[in-house]
Amino acid sequence: MRKFLWALCLLPPCLSHSFSGETFNEELLVRALPDGRVVSRFEFTTLLHGATPRNPQNLSVEDHSQHYTLFPLALGQILREYAVTELHLTLNAGKWNYDRWGYPDEPDVATGAALWAWMAEGSGPIARHSVDARWRDLRNALAGLFCASIASLDEQRTTSPARAFTPVGALPAWPQSLPHAFRHASLPSENVCTENLTPFLKLLPCKSRSGLAHLLNPHRLFDADWHGMGLHVSWHPEDGVQVRLTFQSVLDPLRAGTSRGLHVDWSLASLFDRTIDRACPVAASSRVVVTLPNREPYSIRPEPSSNDNGLGVYDLAEQPLPLDVGMHWLEPFQHGLAYFLPHPTIPSAQAPLSVRRMLRGSAQDHGALAISITNPGSAAVRVVYLETLPWIVYLYLHTLELTVDGVPRADLLEDISYIAQVPHGRAATLEAVLTLPARSTVSLHVGVGRAFLRYTEHPPDAQRGWELPGAVVVLLPSHSGNQSAPAGRWVSTNKGAVQRTAQKQGEGHEQQQRRIYTPALLVDPATPDFSMPYNVIIFTCSLVAFIFGSVFNGLTRRFVVLRVPPE
Amino acid sequence: MALAVNSGLVFPVLVAGRILLALTSLPDALKHDHQLSSPLTSYLNLQEGIYLFKNGIDPYAGGVFRHSPLFLALFTTVLPTSRIISSIIWTLCDAVGAWALTEIWRARQRVTQTSRDGLIAAAYLLNPYLFLSTLSLSTSPFENTLALLSFMFAARGQVSPSLLAAALLLQLSLSSILLLAPLILLLASSPVSQLASPRPFSRNGRKIIPLMAEFLAYTAVLSLASTLISGGWAWVPQTWGASLTLPDLTPNCGLWWYFFTEMFDHFRPFFLMVFSIHLLIYIAPVCIKFQYDPLYAAFLLFGILGTFKSYPTLADPGLFLSMTAVFPEIFPYLRYPIVTTLLHLHAALLMPLFHHLWLNQGTANANFFYASTLVFACANGAAVADCVWAGLRIAIGPGEGEEGKDKGGEKFVVVQE
Repeated sequence: MRKFLWALCLLPPCLSHSFSGETFNEELLVRALPDGRVVSRFEFTTLLHGATPRNPQNLSVEDHSQHYTLFPLALGQILREYAVTELHLTLNAGKWNYDRWGYPDEPDVATGAALWAWMAEGSGPIARHSVDARWRDLRNALAGLFCASIASLDEQRTTSPARAFTPVGALPAWPQSLPHAFRHASLPSENVCTENLTPFLKLLPCKSRSGLAHLLNPHRLFDADWHGMGLHVSWHPEDGVQVRLTFQSVLDPLRAGTSRGLHVDWSLASLFDRTIDRACPVAASSRVVVTLPNREPYSIRPEPSSNDNGLGVYDLAEQPLPLDVGMHWLEPFQHGLAYFLPHPTIPSAQAPLSVRRMLRGSAQDHGALAISITNPGSAAVRVVYLETLPWIVYLYLHTLELTVDGVPRADLLEDISYIAQVPHGRAATLEAVLTLPARSTVSLHVGVGRAFLRYTEHPPDAQRGWELPGAVVVLLPSHSGNQSAPAGRWVSTNKGAVQRTAQKQGEGHEQQQRRIYTPALLVDPATPDFSMPYNVIIFTCSLVAFIFGSVFNGLTRRFVVLRVPPE
Repeated sequence: MALAVNSGLVFPVLVAGRILLALTSLPDALKHDHQLSSPLTSYLNLQEGIYLFKNGIDPYAGGVFRHSPLFLALFTTVLPTSRIISSIIWTLCDAVGAWALTEIWRARQRVTQTSRDGLIAAAYLLNPYLFLSTLSLSTSPFENTLALLSFMFAARGQVSPSLLAAALLLQLSLSSILLLAPLILLLASSPVSQLASPRPFSRNGRKIIPLMAEFLAYTAVLSLASTLISGGWAWVPQTWGASLTLPDLTPNCGLWWYFFTEMFDHFRPFFLMVFSIHLLIYIAPVCIKFQYDPLYAAFLLFGILGTFKSYPTLADPGLFLSMTAVFPEIFPYLRYPIVTTLLHLHAALLMPLFHHLWLNQGTANANFFYASTLVFACANGAAVADCVWAGLRIAIGPGEGEEGKDKGGEKFVVVQE
């Protein structure tokens, strides 16, 4: 009896520990776009309080057991096993139209699959603890977890650009450890579909049974004009390890068939074909946020719990369920009527730059890559232009030309770093720091060559070609006059005191890099005849044998003179 | 006398004409042509490497630049890289090659001037395979010129310049190692034609060892210089290694590219080894059979290289064809010169056509171009085999092809036993 009481006394601290150690928040942001479409962004954030990423120096030591209530165990195991400090995975379909839709709420909209991570170098001679070995294992593990072709993001697609990506969280500086290494890989031809959403939902504590995740209806989401999911793991020294799962989609109310005439009305039921029936009981907060127009007349039902600075907020704890938010316009839709409000959590809707990139030339052995970046603003902007090219296309960097309205402006190119491709091995990385003058279009033109592939290296349906990953244009903060962006915010944990480096939420968006992705390009390498291997081997070998035979015949035989009898 | 004056004029007139041609816009149109410049010799790749080198990026870390570090040193210090000046340098290099070929001819005839000098120079300077390569600014004319220079010095008996030129040539192209054996035999004997009177190699074989040692010393010094220039040994797998492992499958006029495009992955190393060793197989038999005339042995090996090397350009078979001008004594004994010529004509017309149809027009596929390279290889192989025959047939007596008449006026046929 006494023992039982003791146990009872111990139970509450255990429980409170397990619940206070993890927090789950969910939010849905719905925003109308200037072209009448509606963008929705689901954000599910799980915070593991007080946790730190695993030090890869201790990979040979048994790890402490993992016990989570809300945090996804399948993901936690991967993060601990391969000692990943920060991880980002995005699976997007379609191309984000910056010119019509503005800057996305979830900035990473690269077409296809993209994976990037920061990992510290492991210690000792154990090969499988090296960054590259863990990066390979991480790809394989995530491929299994998300049912996606992440495993094919192999060495041929892995790059380590130094400037274009900075960590969202902090990178711990362990004693005697090397700086963190960055790895990035993208696969633009990856198709995102239901089989990727199902494992995504399994990572959520309430799955799709209750809470906002109930709205994630694959029939509607994968019918959207653009859709993408993301997994973002980062470490914030004062909070712990944060896992953020996002799903962003651009839905068209006109196509959904619920709009009245030219009124592009929408509701959760019309967009997702579902309503929020139950709240997720373990969520600390669960909100639906709708941006409200400030000029056009509208009516929204039900009334938001709070109207904060142009944002209608519905807190599921206060709202009667089921909840179906519906927006009704009182006037017909007029194209391009922007009604966006400046709000700290929403970056200004206008895309700061317009980027076009294309592959020129009709020949299958050479061509040119032409990029034009328009800066409509009234101030000069400094950007990092990142180009990662699989080895099938190689740059002739000496032909790089930078022009503004046809006038060569080599002075706009501040710095360039280039890692050349290796045939059958490594992708090329080009990072250039450019200055874009106000109200002008900067054109980059560089000659490219196209490699010839072995017949086994062509993808299935080889005539269709290869998709080249999109380029990334990163805006550098204008206030920092000194050259490069910080390569990561370093935090020292060995001094006992954890330095606070993460910015406040509001400032965080200011501080966060703004990246613009260009759509993927299609390149068609010259193809051999795939039915010919035996024929070619036979033809060539026969010819070699024929010439070899003729020459050796001449060299080794004796010449004999035969007299021809006179007739 | 009139002929001699004429031939004295031929050379400068031809060089001037070639320089004028080089100043047109033809080089820009030809620089992408795969038959005229391979990945190992392309001017674009050379410029890319020079650009990377000047900007502090190791050009051998990537897969585009596969030229020797000596080119880097040459073009970043001494020579300018502008297109016009390059065209002139390339043409002058060809002129030196033509002069070297003429000198080889003179040394073979043991005279200081002959009436055929102008013809020999014209055979080199007007050979379309050679001058189109030069116009495309491929670096293969440098290889050809170095090869001819090394044989010219050897024919004149100048040992050190000859071996130095050969060592430089080896830096530019690994497969030119084939030419080392006849070169050393030539240094140990004489360039005079002995085809009609074969006899065993009688000179002292011991002379060969110091010659080899000198060549190895030059090679070691040049390799070290290359390493110092490029700051590491990365140039070795990128330049020499590339001709053995074929990392770049860009089409050319040779036999390797499509064979290894279509090769099954698990057989690739085996066949790479077979194709590399296949080149070496020819050295010993050719040098043993023609030990009395090493220049002729070298000529045959040029033909083998032009047919079978891993990254050939049209300049390689072109050099072999131009060299036939030095051996007019074999012409009557060729068995099927018309067939060989027609095969060459056939391939020379079809190769650029099918290449264009495949890669630019998109109306043909790779097999078309592959078939035309097969015909081209047939033409080169037939020429080599015929030259082997003719070189041996001379010794038997006057006549034409396989038939002849002996001193008594009796007809005979030559057959191989």
